[in-house]
Amino acid sequence: MKWKWFVLPTSLMLLLAFTTTAWAHGAKIEYTVNMTVEIVATYDTGSPMAGGQGTVYAPDDPGTPWLEGVCDEEGRFVFTPDPTKPGTWDVQVRQAGHGDMVHIPIGEGVATTGGGGYSTFQIVLMSACVIWGFVGTALFFLRNRREYAHS
Amino acid sequence: MRKPYRTLIVFILLALVILAGCGGGETGTLQFNANGEDFVRQGFVSKDGWAVTFDHVYVTLTDITAYQSDPPYDPHSGGEVTAKTQVALDGVHTVDLAEGGEDAPPILVGEVTDAPAGQYNAISWQMVNASDGYSLVIVGTAEKDGQTIDFTIQVEPEYTYTCGEYVGDERKGMLQKDGTADLEMTFHFDHIFGDAETPPDDDLNVGAPGFEPFAGIAQGGTLDVDMADLQSQLSAADYQMLVDILPTLGHVGEGHCHCETR
Repeated sequence: MKWKWFVLPTSLMLLLAFTTTAWAHGAKIEYTVNMTVEIVATYDTGSPMAGGQGTVYAPDDPGTPWLEGVCDEEGRFVFTPDPTKPGTWDVQVRQAGHGDMVHIPIGEGVATTGGGGYSTFQIVLMSACVIWGFVGTALFFLRNRREYAHS
Repeated sequence: MRKPYRTLIVFILLALVILAGCGGGETGTLQFNANGEDFVRQGFVSKDGWAVTFDHVYVTLTDITAYQSDPPYDPHSGGEVTAKTQVALDGVHTVDLAEGGEDAPPILVGEVTDAPAGQYNAISWQMVNASDGYSLVIVGTAEKDGQTIDFTIQVEPEYTYTCGEYVGDERKGMLQKDGTADLEMTFHFDHIFGDAETPPDDDLNVGAPGFEPFAGIAQGGTLDVDMADLQSQLSAADYQMLVDILPTLGHVGEGHCHCETR
């Protein structure tokens, strides 16, 4: 009958293993990294291309402008590339017959999203390990009881 | 012959026929254009007030090569183009940038009909001497305050231009399978004479000789000179400005080129 004193607590703990969502006091945090690119366009003399026309081309459609804008008085043009489009982003700035283009590699190999807590796979794996731990222990003690019964 | 072997041979032959029917790589037509822009086609007013129009602007080009460069070529740094694919236009080509009317399109220098598809984001070419010994010949008329000068300016130096991607209203050089794309060799002649529509202190006008130095050596309303003549007739400062500015003629739209004097 001693084995019942082990099985009952074991069963209770197994039951608790399936109720983590109700009993846990954790928190879950998600974050997204949005990279901002700042272009500073100047003439060869160093003076800013104030009011210069900026055009951004995304890697997946290099022939179509993805974004168009205007440089500020310091020749600065800022944009946030789409993190789902890794690759080389091309940025062109033109003004009064002058222009230039830069090619910016963005996104590949860089984690731009993530979060705290455990993934579903991790939860399933941990639960399976705990359950098997209790089951294995219970079976161990049950095996001993059978041996004593036959001896 | 036993039937199984016969069947096998038939299938092998059939496979070979099918494979032979498959084409080579994806290709299209890549065109190479030369453009003197509206400055040449329509004329302009120089920084020092001369209304300049052009009858002919002859440039002689060779070793014209387009590249699918990776990484993208940086003309500010110079150096060689690192390209996985390149296409060359054969031959020596003398083109007249003033050909056609005021609204004429850029001049088609030539085309390659089996160019591999892809994005051609760099180009190089050489400006070389034609049979007359000049890489550039500018023929035109300048007028100011009732004075008219018919001029012919001939340039002997040869140049090698290596340029990055075209910068303009739209991107160029994106060649699709069985499609047509173009690249442009642009020549900015406002760099020589300046531009009255640009502020006097703009870098363009500061570096440009203007037309006044040429007017100063014209005889009887006519000027017919080459660089050797200009060296002896212009002031040292004006001649040096001209020598320094000529390599900056070559562009790709508004995009820059690295230039070396040959």
